[in-house]
Amino acid sequence: MGQADADRDADVRRADAMTEHASAGGALAAPDGEGAVPTHAERAASDPSTSKRRATRALLEVIDRDGHVRQVWPIHAWPARIGRALDNDVVLTDPHVAPHHFSLDLDDDGKLTLATGDTINGVSVGLQRHPAGSRSVIAHNAAAIDFGAGRSRLRLRLADAPLSPELPLAGVAVHNLRILPSLAIGLVLLAGIAFNSYLDSDPDTFSRVAGNTLLAGLSGAAIWCGAWALLSKTITRQSHFGWHLRVFMLAGLTLLALAAIPGLLAFSLSWPWLTDFSFVATYAVGATALYFHLLAVEPARPRLLRAVVATGAVVGIALTLWFNLQRTSRIGEELYMSHLFPPKLRLARPLATDRFISELAPLRALLDKKAKEAPSAEELGAPPPAGRGEDDDE
Amino acid sequence: MKIVRRCAAAAVALALGCASVCAQPARPPAGPPTAPPLASDAASAPVSFSARKVYEQARTQLVQIRTVLKGRGSQTSVGSGFFVSREGHIVTNFHVVSQAALKPDYHDLVYVTADGREAPLQILQLDVLHDLALLKAADAAGRSFDALGFRAESRPLSQGERIYSLGNPLDVGFAVAEGTYNGVVRRGFYPQIFFGGALSAGMSGGPALDQEGRVVGINVARRVDGEQVSFLVPASYASALLAGGQSAKPIAGAAYDILTTQLMAHQAALTDRFIEQGWKSATHPRYRVPVPPDVFMRCWGSSEPSRTGGLDVERSDCAMDTRIFAGDFSIGTIALRHESYDGSRLGPLRFAARYSQSFRNEAFVRLSPEHQTKPQCHEDFVDRAGLPLRVVICMRAYKKLPQLYDLTVLVATLDQSQGGVQGRLDAQGFSFENAQRLSRHYIEAYGWAKQTPIATPTSAGPTP
Repeated sequence: MGQADADRDADVRRADAMTEHASAGGALAAPDGEGAVPTHAERAASDPSTSKRRATRALLEVIDRDGHVRQVWPIHAWPARIGRALDNDVVLTDPHVAPHHFSLDLDDDGKLTLATGDTINGVSVGLQRHPAGSRSVIAHNAAAIDFGAGRSRLRLRLADAPLSPELPLAGVAVHNLRILPSLAIGLVLLAGIAFNSYLDSDPDTFSRVAGNTLLAGLSGAAIWCGAWALLSKTITRQSHFGWHLRVFMLAGLTLLALAAIPGLLAFSLSWPWLTDFSFVATYAVGATALYFHLLAVEPARPRLLRAVVATGAVVGIALTLWFNLQRTSRIGEELYMSHLFPPKLRLARPLATDRFISELAPLRALLDKKAKEAPSAEELGAPPPAGRGEDDDE
Repeated sequence: MKIVRRCAAAAVALALGCASVCAQPARPPAGPPTAPPLASDAASAPVSFSARKVYEQARTQLVQIRTVLKGRGSQTSVGSGFFVSREGHIVTNFHVVSQAALKPDYHDLVYVTADGREAPLQILQLDVLHDLALLKAADAAGRSFDALGFRAESRPLSQGERIYSLGNPLDVGFAVAEGTYNGVVRRGFYPQIFFGGALSAGMSGGPALDQEGRVVGINVARRVDGEQVSFLVPASYASALLAGGQSAKPIAGAAYDILTTQLMAHQAALTDRFIEQGWKSATHPRYRVPVPPDVFMRCWGSSEPSRTGGLDVERSDCAMDTRIFAGDFSIGTIALRHESYDGSRLGPLRFAARYSQSFRNEAFVRLSPEHQTKPQCHEDFVDRAGLPLRVVICMRAYKKLPQLYDLTVLVATLDQSQGGVQGRLDAQGFSFENAQRLSRHYIEAYGWAKQTPIATPTSAGPTP
């Protein structure tokens, strides 16, 4: 081996060390001594100067709370002992881990055996708990097996475990495709906002109102998406700003449509209930948007997020119904349908006055029932509070 | 705080007189209503020889009526009254005794004479519609009282005659206020005398006497937005109440059933008269829009062209001066309003947005939940001979006045894409049948104006 080769080896070693360091610590460089141990082990294992390259039998990954790999321990020989003491093959610094917490062994038949040491907390595999001093065979047909020891989550990958296919880099091919639809959504949303300010303003004040609304909308979007991106960045180490922006724009567009379409249908077909309960759709859109925002913050638990968001929406709708009932004795939101559109959009047929008046009759029983519901003890004959507002209808 | 409490009963009476016009947004700005100077005016006005004579004659017949919190001794409201029989019958306003009449478990009534004698009172009869009450001194047995006599109806006063209003303003002390008789108030549903003198809170229920010391009316209300514009209940109603209720037994318990019966009669009469009187003609160039004639209602109009090239609005507000005082609120009135919109500068979509906003912007809460239910509504499109309308009818029921309801009818015309009329009818304290009658009467008042045949009901043109 010449000098050049030796140099190259040294470079390779350095590169190895760096790669390993990055993968072991992820973006967080291993903060203290715990990173140094595997680095050393890995370097020794991969160092070609030892010529006999020891085969890696398995890989034990230490996973942090966000699902990121924090440390990687290659296992070169069975059994592998895991614990807090330094004489283990895999040393964990978790104070909830026993000095010799457990060991793993793989015999020639491919049977993986878990033997727990002198531990209070035991070891969990999936939902199963293994107490101290137990010995059991672990089935391993999946790509990886998850262990819990103390507060540490560990993932074991065996050499013969099937590998998932390589993932394409997001954003190279896909990115270009997404920019155009996003731009289109953005433009439609801006047009929608501008149209709304057109509807809400007088001819002489339109440009000012539109300017104010657009400014408020843009800064609102920036603050909203920025806050979500910050949250994503804090937890997933990626900001996902584009994702949050798209969620925001789609939700905004849907809410704009929701503000117009139920009213139009309610007017056209004389279906007052449609706008009476359109808040349900608003809650659904809000919850969906929240779900997709959260998905970019906690991508590992979509089912939990769906459950949380659906619960939130159901609770919100129930509270609104209850609040409406308290406020107006009705569960709907609008006392009457007040959405009027140009006459040509009306499809429902108008009634004759007689029929309309006769349809009033059911109100009577309803009102009489409500009138009798009075909590009489307090209301009948109690002295009026001072300063009661005298009759004012306007 | 003390003053406010003391004036509570009278303050309500004042609202009776002023509420309808006070609510007019279009009224030319007047100075803020100032109550205290009126009281001192009354005291400092030069009292003529005849006023002194009238007061001296009436002094022993005059009483102050106090509503006292049971078991506490503190007064919750004060008014005035006067003896009308030797047996100790006293006439005052219903609103002076309403707390004792409607919440007898919490209130006692006492009278206090000019020489300071205090004794309890009983309520014999009520005339809620004219705001009168007939009381009797509970210590009447074995006593004989000086009584005021009523001026004969056959000798009507002429306008400008001096009359003298007596009472105990603001609990300050008995006083006489001199003023003029100005005939019967115009556009009242029930006749009231227009008294050109100063009434103050606390004088409610006191007598107004002619030069010979005969009762011509009973002090009831004043306008807080005017000077010396006060109102008296004609004495004939008080003498009728005395004649009918002289030997009646005292009312036991809360008088809500009496109130309800009398309000039922009022709403029946009011509905009949309202429907009978018809509508004004030519109230809009394109439509027939309901505006009542100026018989017992008063309409104020205003025009609001947009300064920013937007919606031009013309308004008309019609209301009754007469309201029936019913304890914690007033009732028994009809009010109408309409707004005519011209949005030809806006375009159809913008106009629709503005038109909807206006249709939505309506208040429906009048009284607190202890008095009324929440509104319940019925709505649909209604056809008026080819003119499509959106109509909403909302009703509320009174909790202590069974079978009486508040009615609100909202109407929006839907034939033009850049113009239209929205109207509102409010009727407070009506039976369900009469609410239906009024709704029908109101809705059927909408239609095409006879003069302008409209070619296409859905034409997009601006209001002619």
